[in-house]
Amino acid sequence: MTTRTLRALNETAGLLRGPQRIIPLIAKLASDELRTTFAARHLYSYTSTTVQTANALQSLIDWILRAQRGDGGIAAYYSFLSGYSASYPEVTGYIIPTLYDFAQATGNPAATHAAERATQWLLTVQMSSGAFAGGLHGTSQGQPSIFNTGQILQGLVRAHIESRSAQIMERVVAAGDWLVTVQQPDGAWSGPAAYQGSAHTYYSMVSWALAQLAAESHEPRHAAAANKNIDWVLKHAKPSGWIDGINLREHPLYLHFIAYVIQGILECGILLQREDAIATAAKSAWVLLRKFETKKRLLGTYQPEFKAGSKFTCLTGNAQMSCVWLRLFEVTGDLRYLNAALKMNEMLKQLIALKGRREVVGGVAGSYPIWGAYQPMRLISWGGKFLADALLLEQRLTRQVEIDCDTKSKNSEADSEFKPEASQCAS
Amino acid sequence: MRVVILCSSPYSETGCAVAARMAQLGHIPVGALTLPPWDRSTLLRKIGQWGLRDSYKYAVAKLGPNKITNRTQIRNPYLEPFLRHEEGMFRSLQNVARRYGFPVVTCRNQNSQRAVAQMRQWSPDLAIFTGGNILRDEMLKIPRLGVLNSHLALLPEIRGMSSPEWSLLCGVPLGITIHRMDSGIDTGPIVLRRKFVAAYECASLVDLRNRMIAEGIELIGEAVKGLDLGSVTAAPQAKLENDSAFFVMHDRLKALAARSLLKSRLNPVAETCDG
Repeated sequence: MTTRTLRALNETAGLLRGPQRIIPLIAKLASDELRTTFAARHLYSYTSTTVQTANALQSLIDWILRAQRGDGGIAAYYSFLSGYSASYPEVTGYIIPTLYDFAQATGNPAATHAAERATQWLLTVQMSSGAFAGGLHGTSQGQPSIFNTGQILQGLVRAHIESRSAQIMERVVAAGDWLVTVQQPDGAWSGPAAYQGSAHTYYSMVSWALAQLAAESHEPRHAAAANKNIDWVLKHAKPSGWIDGINLREHPLYLHFIAYVIQGILECGILLQREDAIATAAKSAWVLLRKFETKKRLLGTYQPEFKAGSKFTCLTGNAQMSCVWLRLFEVTGDLRYLNAALKMNEMLKQLIALKGRREVVGGVAGSYPIWGAYQPMRLISWGGKFLADALLLEQRLTRQVEIDCDTKSKNSEADSEFKPEASQCAS
Repeated sequence: MRVVILCSSPYSETGCAVAARMAQLGHIPVGALTLPPWDRSTLLRKIGQWGLRDSYKYAVAKLGPNKITNRTQIRNPYLEPFLRHEEGMFRSLQNVARRYGFPVVTCRNQNSQRAVAQMRQWSPDLAIFTGGNILRDEMLKIPRLGVLNSHLALLPEIRGMSSPEWSLLCGVPLGITIHRMDSGIDTGPIVLRRKFVAAYECASLVDLRNRMIAEGIELIGEAVKGLDLGSVTAAPQAKLENDSAFFVMHDRLKALAARSLLKSRLNPVAETCDG
């Protein structure tokens, strides 16, 4: 019997320990079954707002705040079978920027307080090398993890920006320096601290964290490490827009990982001012945008070259792609990215429970339907984080675009720029 | 010239108007191929997409025969010149067909073997697409001069859906393109292309679309005439550096497009054709 099966059985046994979860579980199963039966694929095409973004955002953040454990760390998930998990350093780290962004957008002091608690907890679990351990708190026997350290670094850099604390800066630099130390000469991260010991292109997210650190530390080694890794990642880009090298054994290519690759490249491209990285990310993101617009959904997994994979929906991956499209809109001004993201967000907002038990309201499931292959039967905190990021970006950018629309007349500008390329015109 | 009209519904005002316009120009259609006004898959799709209440509203507003009591009233008032006849308005393709004497065939899919066989039997010189399925090559190749489509934007700049709205938002002049359909979406050779200069008169996006549809029908008439006389040929679209496919626009962006339209009403710009 494999470890995964044992883990699944153990999680299922959680229902015996918490029979109060049976009714919410049945309700969720029934609601997803009904939706998938009657709404079919057309559920996915939303062009009108039915759930207000501000309400959805508040629900998402409330869920995250409830998922914060007594130690200050944030649980990885709420399982319909076994309840909340232990604190998860990785997501606790990269939820910190989301909490600060939300606090700044709404003036909510609870989110700031939660971010500060999360930061303090992370500082207590950092290893003396500067690295952070992988897995749930207390389960990894002190094995440092490159990816988790990178993800946590994002949060700590932001905590430093907000607090200007010398102590945080010292720890942040230690984490960054550890990442530089364990980087391979070719720019990849592999070895014992890498997941499954191999190099992965989705570690572009680690480069993003290093690029953020470089902007604060002003240490060339941090930017150089990020650039070196991005060089390595870009070598895996195919003419089709597909980026190879996710390189996970025993896992399908979940949209979550595909989106990680793109998001990391894009954000590095923006921070490090690399047009090649932005162009590569845009090419990949455009392929997924076309798929979303024409098929009305993104699949939960893809085969290499974006060939069709599993039919369930990976909600986290969808939210990440929404973030990517919104950022591409910000960079390129191409409204089609904003349009796709608005529709994606409408779909995702529909799938958040806005009433029910406290543990369920505002939670984002790993998969839709809930029994899909990615994090089945769970509401995952990183799903909430990415959707909250997408909605915060949506709010900021739509406000900006409305202001732009009021202040300039694009029509008259473009008239002078427009050069008809087709040769025939009626006269 | 032997012309066939392809429609999304026998109650489509645009389909009726194009059929009537062709007849008025002396090209009485040899037939019309239409999708049914209502079928099970459409019903299920709309219910899945919008829920029961909105699907019912859609059915009443779009798919049923026009129940407007005033016999002179139509949904798109700019189609009146095409739809009006001595006894009132054409309400369905069957009305137009009875008056001008051509058959109307209903099929569930315009690419079906039955539809293809019917099209072959009519052996048209030209087909005019006013709505329905994305046509496959087999169907597109039957008419000698191809299948014409009126696209409500200038090609190749704005392809795909919500094209007038995208034109407004992207700062591309509004316009209409008559093109010969190919297997891509709005990628076929261009027959005629004209800027739409009356945007400043439009009260809303719906009004803009209605006017553009009517102007598109006029332009189809010109294209058919030109093709018949051999004075117009279809030219391949220029290749653009970037993908110019546009997709259904979200309501929030539509609101911005409406604001852009309002601006053009406040600051009318005298525009002329770019030809």
